[in-house]
Amino acid sequence: MRLSRRQFMALSGAAGITAAFPGLSPAFASSTGTSTALLPSQAPTGWKTVLDKANAKLQAELGFTFDAQFINWSNYAQQSLLKFTAGAQFDTALQALWLNMAQLQQSGALADLTGQIDKWPNLKKQIAPKLIQANTWGGKLWGIPQVNSAGRIQHFGIRQDLAEKYGFTEINDFGTLEKFLYAVKEKEAGVTPFGVASQTGWQMAVATPTGMFNEDSWENPYTMQYSLAGSGLRFYFDKDAAKTGSSKPIPWWDDAGTVAALKKIRKYYQDGIINADALNVDQATIESQFGAGRFASLWSITDGLQSNRLAGLKKAVPTAALGQVLPFGGPLGKVKPVQTFQADNMIVVNANGGDVDRAMALQDWFSIQENHDLVGLGIEGTDWKAVGDHSFEQLSTYSFPSYAILWRAGLERLTSSMTDSEKKSFGWAQDYDNFTLDTFASFIADVTPVKEAAAQMNNVITQYANPLFYGVGDVDAGLDKLKKAADAAGLDVIMTELSKQGDAYLKARA
Amino acid sequence: MNAIEQESSVIKARAPASLGTLQHTRRAARRMPEAFQSISYLTVTIFGLFCLVPLWMIVSGSLTDESALGLNGYSLFPQPFSLRAYELLFTGPSLLNGYLASLFITVVGTVLSISCTTSLAWVIARRLPFISRPLTIFAYVPMLFNGGLVPFYLLVTQVLHLTNSWFAMILPLMLAPFLIFVTVSFFRQLPEEILDAARIDGAGELRIFFQIVLPLSKPILAVLALFYAVTYWNEWFTGLLFLSDPDRFPLQLILQNLISNVTNAASLPSSAGDAAAPVYQLRFAMTVLTVGPILLAYPFAQRFFVKGITLGATKG
Amino acid sequence: MTGAEQGAARTPNRRRRLSSRDNLVLMLLALPGIVWFLIFSYGPMAGLVVAFKSFNIRDGIFGSPWNGLANFRYFLTSGDAATIVFNTVFLNALFLGASLFAGLVLALMLNEIRGGLYRRFVQSVIFFPYFVSPIVISIMLQVILSGVGGRGGLLNDMLSVFDLPQVAWYTEPGAWPWILTIVKVWQLGGYTSVIFLAAITSISEEVYEAAAIDGASRWRMALSVTVPLLLPTFAVLVVLGVGRMFFGDFATIYAIVQDNGVLFPTTDVIDTYVFRSLRMIGDFGTTAAIGLFQSVVGFVFVTAAVLVQRRFQKENGIL
Repeated sequence: MRLSRRQFMALSGAAGITAAFPGLSPAFASSTGTSTALLPSQAPTGWKTVLDKANAKLQAELGFTFDAQFINWSNYAQQSLLKFTAGAQFDTALQALWLNMAQLQQSGALADLTGQIDKWPNLKKQIAPKLIQANTWGGKLWGIPQVNSAGRIQHFGIRQDLAEKYGFTEINDFGTLEKFLYAVKEKEAGVTPFGVASQTGWQMAVATPTGMFNEDSWENPYTMQYSLAGSGLRFYFDKDAAKTGSSKPIPWWDDAGTVAALKKIRKYYQDGIINADALNVDQATIESQFGAGRFASLWSITDGLQSNRLAGLKKAVPTAALGQVLPFGGPLGKVKPVQTFQADNMIVVNANGGDVDRAMALQDWFSIQENHDLVGLGIEGTDWKAVGDHSFEQLSTYSFPSYAILWRAGLERLTSSMTDSEKKSFGWAQDYDNFTLDTFASFIADVTPVKEAAAQMNNVITQYANPLFYGVGDVDAGLDKLKKAADAAGLDVIMTELSKQGDAYLKARA
Repeated sequence: MNAIEQESSVIKARAPASLGTLQHTRRAARRMPEAFQSISYLTVTIFGLFCLVPLWMIVSGSLTDESALGLNGYSLFPQPFSLRAYELLFTGPSLLNGYLASLFITVVGTVLSISCTTSLAWVIARRLPFISRPLTIFAYVPMLFNGGLVPFYLLVTQVLHLTNSWFAMILPLMLAPFLIFVTVSFFRQLPEEILDAARIDGAGELRIFFQIVLPLSKPILAVLALFYAVTYWNEWFTGLLFLSDPDRFPLQLILQNLISNVTNAASLPSSAGDAAAPVYQLRFAMTVLTVGPILLAYPFAQRFFVKGITLGATKG
Repeated sequence: MTGAEQGAARTPNRRRRLSSRDNLVLMLLALPGIVWFLIFSYGPMAGLVVAFKSFNIRDGIFGSPWNGLANFRYFLTSGDAATIVFNTVFLNALFLGASLFAGLVLALMLNEIRGGLYRRFVQSVIFFPYFVSPIVISIMLQVILSGVGGRGGLLNDMLSVFDLPQVAWYTEPGAWPWILTIVKVWQLGGYTSVIFLAAITSISEEVYEAAAIDGASRWRMALSVTVPLLLPTFAVLVVLGVGRMFFGDFATIYAIVQDNGVLFPTTDVIDTYVFRSLRMIGDFGTTAAIGLFQSVVGFVFVTAAVLVQRRFQKENGIL
């Protein structure tokens, strides 16, 4: 239906007319109907009011309306894949490499968005060219990257009150951090120094470019891990690949720094520094326990949302305070960690049932501050209140999954409850110049030639690598088993293929 | 020979020992039943406790504050007391709509299911040549072979156009081969004499089914009603697939969405509005809301599991 | 009644021919069910062809190119296939046997309970575990076996009372088939007992009266009257369970074990293995292929079971 309308427009020369007026937003040329977006999470309280207001505006300005289908997180991956596969009618969806984006793209489900962003002025202003470049796969853009900072560095979110209590006002390097953790274990009863959940194990050791307990990576944050989608396999390229032209990838267990991290984790497990049930407990439980005051530190990331834990924590521990610790060995900005700038979340357009122009028009419309705030934060005065130009204060429980459709780094408002510590680290993460672009920044491994081996590798990683990441069991014996199983699953086939793809990437880049 | 003598001769043929030890059992009859009955009471009570303690933990956990749950993982006594989870559940998306939707789906679905299950099962149970056996295989194969999610989704949305309709949740579940065969087994144990007597009186097949077989089958009808109703009441996945209007979501889907989003909000970027939801407590409260209506309705269904329903049917 | 009439009255209707009008009427009765199966079960089965295809979204199910048996190769050539298949069948056999046995015993014992109120109460209580979602079961199991923080648990506390060594249950694969079986009995005991209770209810009172006249104790009545009369129901449940022997109990097992690789050697079943391998790659063709494999094997098992039953117990067979 939509296709024929577009064809009709072309025939009637509407496109020609538009082209005659440069600078006129292509929005005037076309779309009608409803642009449906697949979004995770659920409709915020008061969603109908906000949606009606937004649609009134949207209809008047652009001639179509917007609708959201919310799918709960536990089922989002499967449901969005199903809807793509069955050719359902919707325009955009949240997708990511950690969901099914690679597979959808290879299967022809995503619309090619190369060059589309340039056509829309508001959108173009909000998406940095570096970001577009970093998220182009083999020269094509398959989704609009959704980020709210330039760099994303995982680090420690600690109980600042406990740190001050035991005399650790400034934690700048890994050694001091470790002393803090042991001090908590020794002196604070009922508090486990570090809490971690299942399914996040690799972040404890693998450098990205910082691994939580990877001491080496805090001093030299210049190694970036890459993954083969669907295999769970994470690997590093050779550090000198740019010079030698040879990528020489190695799996993480062949890297000395990562293995040293495993040994540290094992020691922490035995000394009771990390929780022993990590293999089976989920993130929600860990957060809940942190909120009850059971942990002294937790995994954090530079997304500006870490301070949200404080409100709940204060109910259980009134004197609690939060701090962000990035133990780079000095003030932020002294080292420039590598980044790929690949977005964790992308908006993709449905190729078999979606309207590209309409979807892009909507994205452009969302790139205007007023519209962005309306849908992202709710009705001003009822749901939120502006605090200055860049902050806001939450008034109601309106909570919209902005990262799924309208994150714009330049338009995001910070919560007024952000701690100073996080303001510092989040502010530092906004500047692209604080980071180094990795040699293989826009490399995406293509899994199709080694699909079967990748699927089997996934099982090997889950079965043998996971326990190692949590310190369960002896490291050397565990690594031995892991290596044997990986070899049996076809590790050399995978690594040869990755080496080939890496070399080709270097060549094309040069 | 009448039915009674037939049956007791069967018993005698199968358990000759009872005749030989007649004297012994008569004397022992005083003590033996008590032993078995006591063991029964004991075992059943133990198993009951085995099931009751977790139930109690769940109810108690749903009323305990999250801070205590986070520290202990469980609670046997709601201390400190907190209604926060129930507050969240009842002030969230309208649960009333959810209950109404679930009620419609359950009632309509159960009625449809029972009618189709019993009628199909009866035709299979009758052992009609050339009909019953192929039907058996026909009804059994779907228990093993399943086309998968995508063809099913395409069928309901593009072929039947049931998107956003409650029937998209009712129809796919309408027949459960498992329950069809349990019903067949039950029908085959109905006393032949009654059916023959009816046939000799000149009753047609339909009359026999509706006026004789069904009234005699109250126990299995109760089982079917219970199992199907429970399935419809708990179903949420088809709702997730096919319902797009949140006002039409059945209760279980609302709860499922809530729990999933709250659980996952912890590991994903969220705004301040999501913070501090009592995840542990919510999970327990949700179980209580789901199980509650069923536990309240079940004692009524149990009325049918009382002996003597077929008493008098074979006389004369 | 004469002997001949008696004979006719007692033989199963298998030998009586109905008029074609009667046959037609009965077919009409079965029609809604037949139509339903055709639409909702056999229709989507056409999608199974994707097991032999290299599926891509652009071409859809019927346009994608064929690739023969390539999708089957993935699972069958993986080194763990033997362990996984063994786990699937072994765990299913344990679950089936234990829950049927528990259901039967519970039904027999509930039948002995006289007090109406107590009996109804207990029946409700044992029925409830069936409705507890697998996630909540997983949480409660963690409370019992590992406690908060992973170094305790109610079971370990009890063991320490008796001076027995503590066990880190979530790192001991050997114990888990039994732990999971206990969970299944808890979950399904009450549910299965309902089926048997319904069957017991339909046993006419006179049979028991006759046995009582002969002086049989309640125990003997349960053993010699009730159990044999429950055998057809039991047999049906066994045959139905056997067909699903190759389909692992994904919901329960995955919720409890999740990605704890230490427990995989004894708890990983076909469905969890496939789910994990393919959840990222999401290959529709391979998932369909493995499902088809499970179905075909299940079909073979059931055919064998039905043939065995016909050999030993002709009149009670499904077929």
